[in-house]
Amino acid sequence: MTLPLYGTASLSAGFSSDKARSVIRLRAVDSIGERHASDFGLVKTPEELKRAAESNWSSIFVVSDSSIQNEFSESFERQLILVPRKFDYLGDGDVLGFDHSSRKFRTLFRRNSAHNSLLVTERCNNYCLMCSQPPKDVDDRWILNEIKESLSLISPETRALTFTGGETLSDWEDFIGVLRQCRDRLPATSLQVLTNGRAFANSQIVDAWRDIEHPNLMAAIPVYASVDSTHDYIVQAKGAFDETVLGILKLKDRGQRVEIRVVLHALTAPIIAETCQWIARNMPFVDHVALMGLENTGFAVANDAMLWIDPMDYRDELARAVDLLAAAGVNVSVYNLPKCVLSRSVWPHALQSISDWKNGFVDECDRCYERKTCSGFFTTGRPRFSRGVHAITS
Amino acid sequence: MRHMPPAAKDLSPSPVTIAVDLDSSIQSLEALDAAAYRLIGTATCQIDRVANRYVCHLLASTSPQRRGVLTPDDLKERFLNLVADENLRARVAGKTEGVRNVILALAFGSLAANQKDAG
Amino acid sequence: MARFLAPEAFSAATEAISLLPFNFERTGTQQYLVANMVGDFIRLTEDEINKLIDLRATPGDGLYEKAYSAHLITGSNQQAQRQLLALRLRSRMSFLQQATPLHIFVVTLRCEHSCPYCQVSRQSTDRSRFDMSEETAMRALDIAFASPASRIKIEFQGGEPLLNFSLINTIVSTAKVRSASLGKKVDFVIASNLALLDDVVLDFCKSNDILLSTSLDGPADLHNKNRPRPGANSHELATTGIRRAREVLGPDRIGALMTTTEASLDRVDEIIDEYLQLGLDGIFLRPLSPFGFAIKTKQFQKYDAKKWLSFYERGLRRVLEINRQGTPFREFYAALILTRMLSDRPIGYVDLRSPAGIGLGALVYNYDGSVFASDEGRMLAETGDNAFRLGNVDRDTYESLVLSDKLIDAISSSLTQCAPECSTCVYESHCGADPVYHHATQGDALGIKPLSAFCARQKGIMGLLLDILENSPEDAAILRRWVS
Repeated sequence: MTLPLYGTASLSAGFSSDKARSVIRLRAVDSIGERHASDFGLVKTPEELKRAAESNWSSIFVVSDSSIQNEFSESFERQLILVPRKFDYLGDGDVLGFDHSSRKFRTLFRRNSAHNSLLVTERCNNYCLMCSQPPKDVDDRWILNEIKESLSLISPETRALTFTGGETLSDWEDFIGVLRQCRDRLPATSLQVLTNGRAFANSQIVDAWRDIEHPNLMAAIPVYASVDSTHDYIVQAKGAFDETVLGILKLKDRGQRVEIRVVLHALTAPIIAETCQWIARNMPFVDHVALMGLENTGFAVANDAMLWIDPMDYRDELARAVDLLAAAGVNVSVYNLPKCVLSRSVWPHALQSISDWKNGFVDECDRCYERKTCSGFFTTGRPRFSRGVHAITS
Repeated sequence: MRHMPPAAKDLSPSPVTIAVDLDSSIQSLEALDAAAYRLIGTATCQIDRVANRYVCHLLASTSPQRRGVLTPDDLKERFLNLVADENLRARVAGKTEGVRNVILALAFGSLAANQKDAG
Repeated sequence: MARFLAPEAFSAATEAISLLPFNFERTGTQQYLVANMVGDFIRLTEDEINKLIDLRATPGDGLYEKAYSAHLITGSNQQAQRQLLALRLRSRMSFLQQATPLHIFVVTLRCEHSCPYCQVSRQSTDRSRFDMSEETAMRALDIAFASPASRIKIEFQGGEPLLNFSLINTIVSTAKVRSASLGKKVDFVIASNLALLDDVVLDFCKSNDILLSTSLDGPADLHNKNRPRPGANSHELATTGIRRAREVLGPDRIGALMTTTEASLDRVDEIIDEYLQLGLDGIFLRPLSPFGFAIKTKQFQKYDAKKWLSFYERGLRRVLEINRQGTPFREFYAALILTRMLSDRPIGYVDLRSPAGIGLGALVYNYDGSVFASDEGRMLAETGDNAFRLGNVDRDTYESLVLSDKLIDAISSSLTQCAPECSTCVYESHCGADPVYHHATQGDALGIKPLSAFCARQKGIMGLLLDILENSPEDAAILRRWVS
């Protein structure tokens, strides 16, 4: 089941037209403590509606399928949003972005999730064949502003935040400003930034990154091959490999943390042992390597014929790749692949990594001994299952 | 004088020697020297210039420990392989001298300390 | 509608590719072993190597991919590979930043053994004029602590160093105080035959964290033949000492080294088993030292190399077998070479470096205050050859010793990076200069490598290791685990 993170409100009131969007935070109606101007009481039942009025909530966010229009006009002076029941997962501390005219909203942050991801832009200077978030050439700099607004609403107890895109460094100055704000407002939150790393080939940018002096910041950068032409083809950008590798070298030169990611599909999986051998030999100083099963969404669907490979068909190469990196002392994890398609030698490195909102299992998994520690599957896009999926019962 | 058979048989093997000649207009002397260097201990090599040829006189070294006899053809093949390899090395060096110096400078030169653009 | 470009759109034109520096060696008919600027190995056919040099390689042909990954070719306008090679080269050479980590103190020449190959003159135990004086020791410490290294190792040798135990005591306590005040770290090793190992010595080693190193040439008859001593019980004393030391100090606080002699060459299995039985975690299969024998003709040395290489190969394979049977056990020289071949981490071993490790890696302070560039250099002096005597603790400072013309000449003239054959050798990145050996056997620091047993041994070992890494997966996995 894929959690719907986007939607349209059935009803809204009290939103002026001089601002296009608002960032709002949901609070339980009984919650104590200071109320931020952006806080909305979260109402899911008639009892909560009553308590909201009693607690003097001037703005409320109602999750309900029924029409309750009449009950509001008197009690609530400021703002109202009504959304259908399917958004029942929303809870106290969650942050949303809301478009006044269209009534469209999107979840920016969920407090009880371990996988909070902030999309920074849809623009990108690569065009990966398997991109799960296909690039758009639009002026969406308003997104960074919305993120800035959200930062003061996000709980400082949040353990981790991921920034994703598009290419997160598209507006690098503005984005680095956001990271600086994270350092100040959320000092205990570790940050992971997904980026193609090409911007770091520019010393000015990598120096600015270093100067953030964030206590726990990791750049997660894809490298798909040990050969420029292969990598460039996969990301559909000539010169990308050279810039990306140079970027990684400059980041490490400045003592910054780097993770290398490799998405596994028909173009990268058959050569994964060679790629990892190259990483082990040339860049053993990276902080982590993540080898990732393919999410069959976005461009991956369009290029399915070229990209689909059954994980059973690269199982041995993957085991060898993990072994090569581990032998060189490099931290390596395998993401997004269920344990039944992995060699046992890889199991200690297999992490549960699929974001909760798009993570699922199949019926077969009910009988499986390893289910509790297994990645499961993506529920997004057009899931394709390996012929090797089976319950592990011994 | 009657022919007298030798009083004793000369048991020392006849020295293995062969001459190899190459066109001096396309073969560099440096490569020949380098090949000759690698043969030290196996054979001596004396290089003469005759008209437009280099004539290399190879004489296999004798040694009590040497096992197996190097035939003249073996020696010639060995030498020619070494010369071919040295010619190849010269080609590689010619094409890579520049970038080699750049890399050494990056590794050990003051550029390495300067973070501005060298990385 | 998304538009994707075909692979051909991402190839570079021939003019846009450049060759990167590499060395090679012909290994068979039309077969070459190739090494890039940092020593990564790749095998190419003659056809491939010619194509490469002509830059006739295109993405998709297999050769381009092989060559690009191995840093044999790059894009003419690219930067990453050049930076990567520079970075790796800098790592590999970073041992230069820690000049002279090893300081050997020959605290006495006295010894009660009479090993035939020992070039150190044997003086009987009651002549204390062959002991190092405290004054000399203190001056030597001044020099040792003047070296730039942030961590130094002081190794006590002799003769039998425990015969001058009181001086060892003094040196250790002084060194500890000195290092603390300078913010440096200091480690200690005593290289002893263990005949004099008692509780006093063991307590001392334990409380001061001192490592012990001893000689164990093999089973009793072999060891005792090599190391005669009144009582003929050198082996027994060594093994008893090893067991005791393991018990009191811990299993990783005592190591053993073997000296290889002619008699060892046919008995490598027994020697290894001897080490195994004592619970030691590995063995260092050392070459025959030229210093114990008369100088031989050059060819004979090379013949020695062949014989020694079969000894070594047999020993290495025995060690691998032991590992396959479930006991972790290393051959330490292979481990050093493998660390060079499979990583860019600099190794602490000073005897396989270019620039050579003489002086820059180690200094030896003899009992009489004379300072040598290496232990072998000191052994040479015992035969009257002072080529590697750099000075004296009374007259010299660290700088004057290490910057002396004698040392600089020996180091610069023996650089493998500039030497004929070495500079183009496929193994050069993993090898080193041995100026003392070549001086002793050929009369000059560089030596003519085709005549050098050192060279023949190095090539033999590296060829053997490569063969195992490429062709024997189970053994290759064992070898990879030895990389530190």
